[in-house]
Amino acid sequence: MKIIYVLIPLSLMLLGLAVWAFFWAVRNDQFDDLDTPAMDILDDDEKSADDQAPETRDR
Amino acid sequence: MRTHSDNPCFHCGEPVPPGTDLAVEIGGESRAMCCAGCRAVAALIHSSGLDRYYDFRDALPERPDGPKAEPGRYAAWDREAVLDFHTRTDGNDRRSIVLVLENVHCAACAWLIHRYLGQFAGVSETRLDVGDGRLRLQFAPEQTPLSALAAALERIGYPPHLDTPDSGIDRDRNERRRMLRYLIVAALGMMQVMSYALANYIAGGSADVSGGMDPETEHFFRLISMLVAVPVALYAGQPFYRSAANHLRQRHLGLDVPVAGAILLALFSSVLITLFGEGEVYFDSVVMFVFFLLLGRFAVMLARQQSGALHSALARALPGQARRLTAAGSEAVGLVELEVGDRIIVADGDVVPADGIVTEGDGSVDESLLSGESEPRPRAVGDAVLAGSLVSGGSLQLRIEKLGSSTVLSGIVELLSEARRRRPRLARLADAAAAWFIALILISTGLAAIYWWQVDPGSVIPVVLAMLVVACPCALALGTPTALASATRGLALQGVLTANPDALEALPRITHVVLDKTGTLTEPGARLVEVRTVPGLDRDEMLQLAGALERVSNHPIARAFSAFDRGRLVEQSENVAGAGVAGRIDGRKYWLGRADWVSERAGGRWSEPGEGIWLALLAEGAPEPAWLRVDARLRGGAQALVARLNGAGIRVVLASGDREINVASVARALGIREYHAGTRPEDKLALVERLQTRGARVAMVGDGINDAPVLAGADISIALAEGAAIARTQADLVATGRDLKPVTALFEQAPRVRRIVRQNLVWALVYNLGGLPLAAAGLVPPWAAAIGMSASSIAVVLNARRLGRIDNRKPPESPPARRAALEAA
Repeated sequence: MKIIYVLIPLSLMLLGLAVWAFFWAVRNDQFDDLDTPAMDILDDDEKSADDQAPETRDR
Repeated sequence: MRTHSDNPCFHCGEPVPPGTDLAVEIGGESRAMCCAGCRAVAALIHSSGLDRYYDFRDALPERPDGPKAEPGRYAAWDREAVLDFHTRTDGNDRRSIVLVLENVHCAACAWLIHRYLGQFAGVSETRLDVGDGRLRLQFAPEQTPLSALAAALERIGYPPHLDTPDSGIDRDRNERRRMLRYLIVAALGMMQVMSYALANYIAGGSADVSGGMDPETEHFFRLISMLVAVPVALYAGQPFYRSAANHLRQRHLGLDVPVAGAILLALFSSVLITLFGEGEVYFDSVVMFVFFLLLGRFAVMLARQQSGALHSALARALPGQARRLTAAGSEAVGLVELEVGDRIIVADGDVVPADGIVTEGDGSVDESLLSGESEPRPRAVGDAVLAGSLVSGGSLQLRIEKLGSSTVLSGIVELLSEARRRRPRLARLADAAAAWFIALILISTGLAAIYWWQVDPGSVIPVVLAMLVVACPCALALGTPTALASATRGLALQGVLTANPDALEALPRITHVVLDKTGTLTEPGARLVEVRTVPGLDRDEMLQLAGALERVSNHPIARAFSAFDRGRLVEQSENVAGAGVAGRIDGRKYWLGRADWVSERAGGRWSEPGEGIWLALLAEGAPEPAWLRVDARLRGGAQALVARLNGAGIRVVLASGDREINVASVARALGIREYHAGTRPEDKLALVERLQTRGARVAMVGDGINDAPVLAGADISIALAEGAAIARTQADLVATGRDLKPVTALFEQAPRVRRIVRQNLVWALVYNLGGLPLAAAGLVPPWAAAIGMSASSIAVVLNARRLGRIDNRKPPESPPARRAALEAA
């Protein structure tokens, strides 16, 4: 059971790391726009539509 | 019922006027367009390879005003002074700027703008806030100047404005970020403390099997929990401590007083127990309590911040640049470069950028935005002109007297936004009720503490904690404001801006709706509804002739024909006001106008072939004229609005200053039984007051400028306004756009708002009043109280958030249903 005296302080360090990471994200505008990134996934590769035939694209 | 064209414009969704032949190929098919503006935008979207905008979008755009071919429109935006003032340098010659865009509706707009601007060299970041139309743009002025990007935005239908720096947007963002930090700390802290507590619960639960946790380990877990919970609760709980302190300083019992009390009491009793004594600790409950409370507050804050794009009104009301006189001539400069005493030229059709005195020239100035005076007033040398007014005829040279925030316009906008920050009446009522409720809680908690002290001193702290937490009237206090804020947000997405949230509460009780005709049910101008040809003159030829002949007229009826003008040469053209036009095309003389006037001019005797407004088109030497019937242009959605109101059992009254015949025809077309023609504004006000004395609750729908006194007299006022006029109107609710759909949506939404507010209040009361006796009896452990309180708050907030969504799945009302609704009324 002595291992918990190592693991629990370790978990505290991870907590500190997580808080720091989130604060960094808030500071760097990562939470400012939550609407439009959802649209990006709908987007095909930038230039696939014109230079590839549809048949080959489907496979 | 008049049949509209079944073929809506593919771009903006408005009906394509008959005889319009505009199309753009999109997605492999030819799509009909209603006007040159839509065609230009759609063609541009297509040629940029962005057709998929039409698949993504879930809201229709405004109809663009048509190409404003003004190359120098944004020229001043490239000047060093403008860039320095409005942009931030991001190193490597990059700059970033925030622009306010018009007409932003849904995430597809963001996609389109991102893609389209991304094609320009040097544009490295575009981020659009769909809620308030703000675009954050990072670009390299060396590669693509800002003026080119601004012109590009205007071309695809989103005219940009420079942001005013003091618009509160930074304050909102800072508040949002601060709350996010609290929330994150509370969430991570909660996970951590709960995991330590769980170890203890599990070990405690299986004590018989494994012998449980030895006291040393248990103490270690408590110390670690304390190490995490104390800083987390002190940091993340700051909003509650601050607000409680404020309330106490003002000798007022706010909602946060028992909240802060419960947090601190639980925290410090647990600390004392951990360090010195025996008993239960509540670190996990405290942190969980803080987290769920913050979650509720965060939801309220978001709903409030997103509740409309009203704060950009000032930016929209001023022009992007001004033309300043210099020794060498004139130059386009940004508004930030102007100084008091500068001389500027304001050309016909431009907006005055600053308050000033006319020094040269004369012309008419439309001040409807500022004073509500709808007729342009002549201004000559020595007269004062106000920022935000529109020069409409002539051009003026001004000496600037006042700039920026000292202008009259800025004062008006400030007053309005002040009024909009007011807390709604329902929320104030709930606050007052909450104060009494809190006093009740504190007294009963005190009594319970005294009782338990005598019965079982060990239970005092758990009981007091449970009571404070269970009774916390969070749901009671959150329910109404979140519902109203979410409804405001949901309505804003549908084109209704809420200036006065009290109106949302009053709306479901409305019994009568008074509609104005001109500018509300009908659009300015006329539309062509019927054509009767004569031998030797086919329909197309007729329309082209009419379009060419009416070019010289500025009568509203003339606009019905402007779409058919193919630029044919008209000689000897003549315009007789109120009668008609004449001219010679391809050598042949034509008359177009009222039947009696054409008869008199051409020496014949013809009269209108039927009811309505008919124009005769006579060619020289022809035996009889061809006929064109025009009618008032009904606004899109007028039918649906009246049908909806009739269906809901609301009496619809039409009141207009127009002549009997025109008002009657609109009333008949829409199925309105009661109408009043020839009413002046004071007559309309008298009508509203007469209805009110009979016990009716009246909503007035008007254009917000001519109807100002009537709007003020009605129980609820709804104004239709576009662009800059939004900043001016004093109505409770402002419907934007060219269409009446937002007003219909408003009447559909109102009963839901009322229902959800009521659900929230009932739920909160049942929970609070039911939980308090149980907690006083010692039946609720503090952790269960924390969960119950949080769950009830979250339930209320989630319930309210339903109002912020638009239901897109609902199919449009079918014509038979509409007719049934008409007949039922």
